[in-house]
Amino acid sequence: MNISFSGVSKIFEPDIAALVDVNFNIEQGEFVYVIGQTGSGKSTLLRLITRELMPSKGVVAVGGFDLRRMRSADVPYYRRDVGLVAQDFRLISSLTVYENVAFVMEAMSVPKKIVEERAKDVINQVGLWRRRNFKPAQLSGGEQQRVAIARALANSPSLFIADEPTGNLDFHTSAEVMKILFAINAAGVTVVMSTHNQNIVNSARQRVLELESGKLIRDEKGGGY
Amino acid sequence: MTTFKYILRDMWRLTINHWVLGLLTLITAGVMFWILGITTLFSLNMENLLSRLESELVVQAYLVKDNTLNVEEIAAKIQSLEYVHAMKIYSPSDSLAKLQEKMGSQSKALDMIGDNPIPYNFEIHVNAASDVEPLVSELKTMPEIEDIVYAGLVVKRINALSQISSRAALAMFILSVIITALVVYNTIHISLYSRRDEIGIMYLVGATRSYIATPFVLEGTLLALLGALAAGGGIIAVYIPAVRLIHENMPFLSSSLLSDNAVIWRFCALLAGFGATLGWVCSYLVVARFINAITRPE
Repeated sequence: MNISFSGVSKIFEPDIAALVDVNFNIEQGEFVYVIGQTGSGKSTLLRLITRELMPSKGVVAVGGFDLRRMRSADVPYYRRDVGLVAQDFRLISSLTVYENVAFVMEAMSVPKKIVEERAKDVINQVGLWRRRNFKPAQLSGGEQQRVAIARALANSPSLFIADEPTGNLDFHTSAEVMKILFAINAAGVTVVMSTHNQNIVNSARQRVLELESGKLIRDEKGGGY
Repeated sequence: MTTFKYILRDMWRLTINHWVLGLLTLITAGVMFWILGITTLFSLNMENLLSRLESELVVQAYLVKDNTLNVEEIAAKIQSLEYVHAMKIYSPSDSLAKLQEKMGSQSKALDMIGDNPIPYNFEIHVNAASDVEPLVSELKTMPEIEDIVYAGLVVKRINALSQISSRAALAMFILSVIITALVVYNTIHISLYSRRDEIGIMYLVGATRSYIATPFVLEGTLLALLGALAAGGGIIAVYIPAVRLIHENMPFLSSSLLSDNAVIWRFCALLAGFGATLGWVCSYLVVARFINAITRPE
């Protein structure tokens, strides 16, 4: 799924410019890092892609479709094609690992048998099948992030958005998470990931979009931090 | 069908997770629906009783003693008044016979009077107690009528009682509905509020609004329905023995009471239906409002 930002600005009330006239295109199957200091607009950019936010100006198009024109009733169907992983994991605390992953398929009315098979498959991919009956609070940060990745993979999305997925993790666990993200990208899924982690960006060089005070100051293929 | 199963499971989870709150809602809704049901039954019975009393209200109009009067013409004139439900003409001899019958063994005293002093008179039945006063005023304007006899004070009291009872029943009904609606509304609101993060996550990973909302709406509907059913049980447990007691001790009242068990059961079924509808409406309103607010893009 390709993404295009054309003249996108986002102003929060009363007058805080989170993004200013941002333009770029991301092709299907690309792996893109979004870097920049805290408050530079990285999360805003990702939340515009997931349509949690609407641009104040400009057009955000995903798969050639202007998200502002999307009816609110169609948003859930769009989001099923977008895997989302956040720094704070956003897992449902009252559900087990298995239930958290199964839920996104149940919301699509997938039959129980297929849900079971698919959930087992993705939980295995992130190496947590043995902990499938644990609740998020019983898991480490790295494990919770892997559950979030498994959940994002459950619907076989064509776009994967990761907002600082290694932000709360140690070096070793971060490397494990990155390994999973590269495997997802290798399967043809577009991955857009925001990060502060210089080591990750420098050790596995991909396209880099750098933001500063809401402005896109660098768009470099194979770039470093 | 698959979605429905998932939704039912989620509703069950919700109800179990907030069982204390749910139980409190159920008890409050039950008490309110019980009050509502009993008030409605009381009001219906009161209405029956009053309309029975009203149907027994009679205005007696006596004509002046004048042989030249055309009684049929006067009767037709009175019959045409809008307050008149039914009317019977009594000739002097009919009236005397009636009086003799009423006096029984003492009727011989009437022989001492000599000529029959009773004139032609009309027994007039009205539609409602409130019609008596205007009817009497109209009759007083007719020169052919010499005297009017009616239970003025009784009429006034019945009228007042009828008005007070319908107003009190309406006020009680509105109050019970408002309290029940608020309790269900607040329970679902608390349930939603305690899961607001979860709802946000659900929406973010692709659950539709209706998929998120339906378990909450069903929870509210179920709680109100159970409350109404419990109230129905309470009404049957109290009302049927009460009617039996009245029947045994005050038989003159029993013909005015709703005492058919089938009707009472149907009334309780209606109350349950009303409870479920009220629960559904309240839950739907709060859920729609809440979910709209937290899923709207900034």
